Amino acid sequence: MWPLIAGEARKVLTTRVWLWLLLAAAGLTILYAVLTMAFADTPDALTAPLTTAEGQRTLFAVGGAAAPFAALLGAIGLTAEYRHRTATITFLTVPHRGQIITAKLIVHVLAGAAYAVVCISITTAVVPPWLASQDISIAVPARDLFATDLGVVTSVALFAAIGVGLGALIREQVAAVVTLLIYLFVVENILTNITALHQWTPYLPGQAQEALIGSTLTNQSLLTPWQGGLVLTAYSLAIATIGTLLTAHRDVT
Amino acid sequence: MVVAPAEHGRIVVEGVSKSFGPVRAVNELSFVVEPGGVTGFLGPNGAGKTTTLRMLLGLVTPDSGVARIGSRRYADLPTPAHEVGAVLDASGFHPARSGRDHLRVSCTLGGLPLRRVDEVLDLVGLSDAGTRRVRGYSLGMRQRLALAGALLGDPPVLILDEPTNGLDPEGIAWMRRLLQGFAEQGRTVLVSSHVLSEVQQLVDQVVIIRRGQLVHHGPLAELSGPDAHVVSIRSPRTEALTAALSAAEGCRVERAGPDRLRVTGVPASRIGDIAFAAGVMLHELTPHAVGLEDVFFSLTNATGTDSDPGVDPPGGAVTCGR
Repeated sequence: MWPLIAGEARKVLTTRVWLWLLLAAAGLTILYAVLTMAFADTPDALTAPLTTAEGQRTLFAVGGAAAPFAALLGAIGLTAEYRHRTATITFLTVPHRGQIITAKLIVHVLAGAAYAVVCISITTAVVPPWLASQDISIAVPARDLFATDLGVVTSVALFAAIGVGLGALIREQVAAVVTLLIYLFVVENILTNITALHQWTPYLPGQAQEALIGSTLTNQSLLTPWQGGLVLTAYSLAIATIGTLLTAHRDVT
Repeated sequence: MVVAPAEHGRIVVEGVSKSFGPVRAVNELSFVVEPGGVTGFLGPNGAGKTTTLRMLLGLVTPDSGVARIGSRRYADLPTPAHEVGAVLDASGFHPARSGRDHLRVSCTLGGLPLRRVDEVLDLVGLSDAGTRRVRGYSLGMRQRLALAGALLGDPPVLILDEPTNGLDPEGIAWMRRLLQGFAEQGRTVLVSSHVLSEVQQLVDQVVIIRRGQLVHHGPLAELSGPDAHVVSIRSPRTEALTAALSAAEGCRVERAGPDRLRVTGVPASRIGDIAFAAGVMLHELTPHAVGLEDVFFSLTNATGTDSDPGVDPPGGAVTCGR
C-alpha cells in the first residue's frame, strides 16, 4: 500500500493545482475572518457577538472555508485521470483498482488536513491580536478552541474524500467541479434559508460541518458537534465507497 | 535484462468476445503470440484491436472468453510492471507534468527504483526533454515517453497500440531497431496498427482481424501468397467478361470505370485465356505489382460492406468462384 500512497502523493505534488487551491482556501479564510470581525457586532449579523464565547469560537472556526477547496482538489485529482487519460497507465501499473482509489482517498484526506492546518494557522495568527486590539478578552475555553481546530481539520479532510468520491462518480472534470461549486456555494445556502426545511437542513454536509467545527449561526439550529461529525463521516464514506466500487468495475476505454 | 521461459512470455487470447451496446466489437477471437518475435496486430480502424488489447490488459472485462499473459490474467500478475509493458494511449499524460515526473509517478506506483527513470529516458532519446512539461511535447515525443513508461520495469512482454503514430520515418526506423532488439533478447512484442505499411518493416508475424474476428494469423511472408494478383482490364464488354470471370476460382472483380475492371486473385495470363475463351475482346490487360497493403486491404475489406452494412459501395464489387 505504501508505494501507492507515495505515487498518488507524487501525482498531487507534481502539478500546481494543490497550490492554487491552497491559496484560494487561505484567501477565503482571511476574507471570512475579516467579514466576521467587521460585522459580527452589527444588528443583523448571522454570528453571535464577539464578546461571547460562541461568537469567538465561530470566528476561530472560519478555517472551515478550506473544505470546498479540499473537495475540489479531490475531485480534480480523480477526474484528471480521465480527462488526461492517465487512468490507463494508472490501472495498468496497479490493476487492483480498489487499492489505488483507496490510496488516492488517503492522500487527499491528508492534503485536506494539511489545508486545514494552514488555515487554522492563519486564524490563530490573526484573531487573538485583533481581539486584543479591540480590548476583548478571549472567552472561549482552550478545550473548546481545541475541539474547533480538530473539527476544522476533520471536516476539511472529509470534504476531500467527498471530492474524490464525487469525481469517481461523475468522471467528467468540468461537471464534477461545477457540481461541487454550485452545491456548496449556492444550493446549500438557498436550502438553509427556506424556513420550512429547517428540520432537515442541519443534516446537509455544509451544515454538518458547521456543527462539527462548533460554529454558532443565529439563523440556524445545528446538530451537536458529535452528530455533525457522524453525519459528515457518513456522507464521505458513502460517496467514497460508491465511487470506489464503480471505478473498480467500470471498463476503462 | 529479462529472458523468461517461453511459456512465461506467451500471450494467449482464448475465445474472447465483447459488445458495447448493440455493437459486437470483438467476436470469439482467439490467437497466441509467441516470445522471440515482433507480431503485428492489424486491422482497419474499428476492427476491435484496441478493445482486444484492453481486455488482455484487464482494463475492459470480456463478456466471455479469457486473455492471459503466460498462465495468468493481467489482473492476477503479482508485479505487472515487471512482467508487461504496455502503451495504449500515447496521449495519456497530464499536460502540466514533466515527462520525468510522469515516469517518476509510474515508478513509485509500480514499486520500481527511481533510477530507472533516467535510464529509460536515455533509452528513448528524451534525456534532454525530461524536465519539460508534456504540454510542449510533439506527438513523436509523446510516443517515445509512452514507450519509456512501458520499459520502466524491463518487462519480458511489450504490448504497443499504434506505436508508429506520429513518428517520422527516422523514428519508425529507430522503433524497428529497438523492438527487433527486444525480440532477439527473447521478449514478446505485440504491435497494433491499422496501416500495414507502417509496421511492415517491424514485424515478422501478423494477426489480422476484421470486425472483431480473426482473418489471418501467420508469418508476414505468407501474406503475399498466390492471391496477390491485381490486374486492370479495359474492355467494351465488361458485363460478359465479369460473367466469364465469375467461374474462375478465387477471383474478385470490381468495376473501375465504364469500360474498366479491376480483377484480383488470378494472374493476367489466366484472365487473357478466359476472355479469349468467352470471345470478349480486351483493350488493355495490365498486371500490377501487388504490395502487402493490397493483400491486407483485400483481407480486411472482404465484401466491401464492412463499415456500412446494407449499402453497396459505388462501383459495386462481386466476389465470385468461391
